[in-house]
Amino acid sequence: MARYLIVRLGQALVIVVLVTIITFVILHLLPGGAARATLGKEATLEQLAAFDHEMGYDRPWIQQYVMYVQRLLHGDLGYSFQLNQSVTEAIGQRLPKTMVLSLLSTLLAIVVAIPLGVIQATRRNRWPDYTITSLSLLAYATPIFFLGLMMIILFSQVWPILPPEAPQGFTLGEVLADPAGLVLPTVTLAVVTVAVYSRYVRSSMVDNLNENYVRTARSKGLSEGRVVVLHTLRNGLFPVITLLGMYLPALFSGALVVESLFNFPGMGQLFWQAALKRDFPILLGVTLIISVATVFGALLADVLYAAVDPRVRLRRSAS
Amino acid sequence: MSAPIDTAPHDGAPGDSGESRPLLRLRHLSTDIALRRGTVHALDDVNLEVRPGETLGIVGESGSGKTMTALSVMGLLPSGGSVVGGEILFEGRDLRSLPPDEVRRIRGVRMGMVFQDPLTSLNPTMRIGTQVAEPLRVHEGVGKAEARARAIEMLRRVGMPRPDKIVDDYPHQLSGGMRQRVAIAMALICSPRLLIADEPTTALDVTTQRQILELIDDLREEFGMAVILVTHDLGVIAGRADRVAVMYAGRVVETAPTAQLFASPRHRYTEALMESLPESVTQETGARGRLYSIPGLPPDLSRPLNGCRFAPRCRFAAPECHTTEVPLSAGEHRYACLHPVTATTTATTVRAVPVSPPAEEPEAAPEPILSVRGLVKDYGATTGGLLRRASGQVSAVAGVSFEVRPGETFGLVGESGCGKSTVGRLVVGLEKPTDGQIVLDGTDIATLSHRERRRTHRQVQLMFQDSYAAMNPRMRVDAILAEPLEIQQVGDPSARRARITALLDQVGLSRRVLERYPHEFSGGQLQRLGLARALALRPRLIVGDEPVSALDVSIQAQVLNLMRDLQRELGLAYVFISHDLSVVDYMADRIGVMYLGKLVEVGPAHDVVRAARHPYTQALIDAVPSAAPGRAAPRENITIRGELPSALNPPTGCRFRTRCPIAEQICETEPPLAGDLHQVACHFPLRPEPGTTAAPTG
Repeated sequence: MARYLIVRLGQALVIVVLVTIITFVILHLLPGGAARATLGKEATLEQLAAFDHEMGYDRPWIQQYVMYVQRLLHGDLGYSFQLNQSVTEAIGQRLPKTMVLSLLSTLLAIVVAIPLGVIQATRRNRWPDYTITSLSLLAYATPIFFLGLMMIILFSQVWPILPPEAPQGFTLGEVLADPAGLVLPTVTLAVVTVAVYSRYVRSSMVDNLNENYVRTARSKGLSEGRVVVLHTLRNGLFPVITLLGMYLPALFSGALVVESLFNFPGMGQLFWQAALKRDFPILLGVTLIISVATVFGALLADVLYAAVDPRVRLRRSAS
Repeated sequence: MSAPIDTAPHDGAPGDSGESRPLLRLRHLSTDIALRRGTVHALDDVNLEVRPGETLGIVGESGSGKTMTALSVMGLLPSGGSVVGGEILFEGRDLRSLPPDEVRRIRGVRMGMVFQDPLTSLNPTMRIGTQVAEPLRVHEGVGKAEARARAIEMLRRVGMPRPDKIVDDYPHQLSGGMRQRVAIAMALICSPRLLIADEPTTALDVTTQRQILELIDDLREEFGMAVILVTHDLGVIAGRADRVAVMYAGRVVETAPTAQLFASPRHRYTEALMESLPESVTQETGARGRLYSIPGLPPDLSRPLNGCRFAPRCRFAAPECHTTEVPLSAGEHRYACLHPVTATTTATTVRAVPVSPPAEEPEAAPEPILSVRGLVKDYGATTGGLLRRASGQVSAVAGVSFEVRPGETFGLVGESGCGKSTVGRLVVGLEKPTDGQIVLDGTDIATLSHRERRRTHRQVQLMFQDSYAAMNPRMRVDAILAEPLEIQQVGDPSARRARITALLDQVGLSRRVLERYPHEFSGGQLQRLGLARALALRPRLIVGDEPVSALDVSIQAQVLNLMRDLQRELGLAYVFISHDLSVVDYMADRIGVMYLGKLVEVGPAHDVVRAARHPYTQALIDAVPSAAPGRAAPRENITIRGELPSALNPPTGCRFRTRCPIAEQICETEPPLAGDLHQVACHFPLRPEPGTTAAPTG
C-alpha cells in the first residue's frame, strides 16, 4: 500500500510540474506580454520596460521559469493590480468558501443519489426506475443558471422561506453562521450532481446484481435487503469513487455560475469577475489551483479505491 | 402464489414411502423465462426425485433445462424466469406454497448450491471467512467468534490448507480449485440435506476436477446428504452418480440407475449422445472410426412443440413420434421413447463404419511441414505502475521440440497454464519466440524478412476456441471469409467470391449464410466458419487451439468429423491443442504432453494414452472421468495432489517433481526427452519403450 501511494504521488507531482509549465507558457503568450496584461492599455513603453525588468521578464525563459516556480513554492502566485491584492491572498480568502459549498453539495448529492440509484437498479424497468430516470435526465439537461433562477423564484418569491442571496460574510465563520443562505446554492449545485451520480450508481448496481456472486449470496437464503446492501452495494460504489475524484473540476465550473447567481464571494465569483476585467494574474492563479486540485482529486479517488477494494490493495502490496 | 391442486394422474408410484421417502420430488414442474422476443418454456412437465443420501446426476446439453431445474428448486431463476406449474416437494412440503421467508430459510439451511464458475461466484470484496460463516450468522444467529471458528473448521473439512489463515483472505488470493472448495464449504456450513452442484468442475482442470468430485463424494457420506450433480459431461456422471436423469429440450427423457443407463441406454437420444463421445470409438478398438453426430440443432423452446422433441434429429423416428406425446415409462428405468433401444436394434451399424485406416501414412516419412526446435518463450513479469521494474521471468514455454509431418495430426495436451496455447501462438507467428527455431516447410521463420514471413504464414492458419470472439461482429460472413484473401492479395474479386463459396461447401454450410453476421450462428456453425476462414488461403497446417472445447458433445462430433474429412481430402496437417485427452486421443496420430512449459512425453497417440511412460501423463489419464461402463469407477493409480506451481519461478530439474509421487533426489537434474518413437522426459519412466521394430503406427 505504501509503495502504491508513493508511486501514485510521484505521478501526480509530474503532472503538477507539467501544469506549471503550461501556465507559465500561457502567461508569456498573453498579447503584449505580462506587463501589458498587468498594467493595462494606458501604460507607456517605458513603464512596460520598467515592469518587465522589475519582474525579471527580460531574462532568459529558463531562468524565468525557475523564478516562477520558486515564487510558487513560496506561495506567491503573483499580484493583482486591479484588486490591489496578492493573488494568494485573494484566493486564500475565497477558496475555503467555495470548498464549503462544493463539499456540502457533494455530500448532499451522494446521500441522495446512492439510494436513488439503488432503488432504480432493484426495480429496473418498472415505474420507479422510469420516473427517476426521467427526472434525472431533466435535471441533467437543465442549464444550471436557469435552475438557480427557478429556485430563487420558487423559494424566495412565490414561497418566501429562503433568502435569494448567499451569505455575504467575509470570513468562513461568518458564512457558516448563516446556514439558510447556503441552502439554495448548495441544492442548485447538487441537483445536477445527483442526476449524474444516480445514473452511475444505477448502472453499476445493475451490472453487479447480475454477477454470479450475488446469485451465490441469494443461494445462502439471505434476505434481498442484505443481498443488496451488504453484498452488492460495496462493489457497486467503486465507479462512483472514481467519479467523485473526476467530478471535482465539473463542480468548480458549476460553482462559477452558482456563485455569480447567488452573489457568493467564492473562487467562482473571483474567476468570473477576473475574466470580465481581464485580470490575468488572478485567472492564471485560479487555473493553477484548480488544475492542482483536479490532479489531487484523481489521486484521492485512486487512493480511496485502493483502500476499499482488496483486489487493488493487496495486489499492490504483495508484489 | 398458491399451489395448483394437482389433478393429473400420478406417473410412477411413490408406493413404498416407508423405506426411503424422496427428499425432493419434482412433479410436473414447468418453468418459463420471459424474454423480449417471447417466452421460452425452459422446463416442461419435469418429474424427478432425489432420495436421502443418494447422488442424482442430471445430464444434458446446453439448453436442455438441467441448470434451470436446479435453479427452479433453489428459487434462483434469472430475471424473467418463473415456475409456472407443478410442485417442488422438499421434505414433503411444496416450496411453491410456502411463504417467501420460509423458503429462504429452507434454501439457506436445508439446501446448498455450488455453481460452475468459482472465479466469479464469490464476493470479491468480502473475506472468505465472512462469506462462509454468513449463513450461520443469518439463519442460526451464531455469534461472531463462534461463526468464525466453525468457518475455519468447515474450510479444514473441505481440504483447505491453513484454514485459519485463508479465513481472512479475499477470493482473488486463491486459485480456481481452492475457490471451489470455499464455495463448497459455504454451501455445507449449515449441514444441508441436499447439495446441488451445477457443473462444479467444468471450469477446472482434470486433476483438480478429480479432487473436487472426490471431495463432494466424501462429504456426501460424512453429512449423509443427497447430491444433485448437474453436468454436460457423461464421464463425470458415470463415476459419481447413483442414478442419472437425461434431459433434452426441457424434459427428462430417461432416468435409470447409473450402471444400467450406461450399460443399456433405452432412449434414442441417450444412445446418440453416448455414440458422439470420442472415446466411444477409441475405447474398444483403438482404431478410430467416424463419430456419430446428431444432425441438426435442439428445438426452439419458445415455439409450441408436438410429439417427441428429439424426433426431428432421431435416426429411428417414425411418423407417430412427431405427433404423439410420450410419457416416461414406469419402473426403475424410465424412458420416454416410442421406439427405444432394444438388444436387437442397437445402432451398431453406425459404429462399424470404418474410416480411412491410419496406416494410410506413407512408408518413408516425408519432410516435416513443421519442425519446432528448442522453443522458448519468457514473459517479463513487472510490478508497479509508472516505476516498472522486472520482478522475474514467467517461463511459459521452456525448450519445446517436435515435428509435424504433412497430413498428420499432432495433439498437444496439458492443463491450463502449461504453455500449450503459447506454443500454438508462436507457431502461427502471433508472437515471437524468446529462443529456438520454428522451421516451416524447410525454412526457418526467423531468417525471413517481414514480407517473406507474411507470405510463408499462408501455410499456417489458426482456429480458435471461441470463434465468435475471433470474428468482427460487424462484418458479414462474406467479408470475414474474403479478408484473408484480400490481405494476401489472392486473385481478383470474382475469384475470391468463387473461393468463398467453395469454402462454404467444404465445411458444409449453405451459401445463403454469406449475408449473415456472426451472432446469427450457433456454436457448431461458428466453428465451421472458423475452419472455413482458416482454410481460405489453402494452408498446409492448421493450428486448432481448443477448437471443440466450447461445444456440446453432439456438435463436437460434427466438427471433429469435418476436421478429419478435410484432412483426408486436402492433406492437411493439424496441431490440435486441447485439455481434453479423449478428444486428442481420437484426433491425433501423435501426442505431446506438456507440463509447465515443457514437453514431458511425445509418442504415438495410442501408446501415450494406453501405455503412458511419464507419471504426469498417467495421472492425467487417471483423472479423466470415463463414460465407458467398464471404467465407471475411478481407478486408484497415480493421483497428483495440490496445485500447478507458478511459472514465475518454476521448479528446477524436472518441473513435475514437486507433485510427483515417485520423485527422488536425481529429479532435481533435468531429464532429457529421450526415446525413439515414444519419448519421455523422466528419470524413472513408468514403462520401457516398447519394441520399435514396426514402422511408425498412426
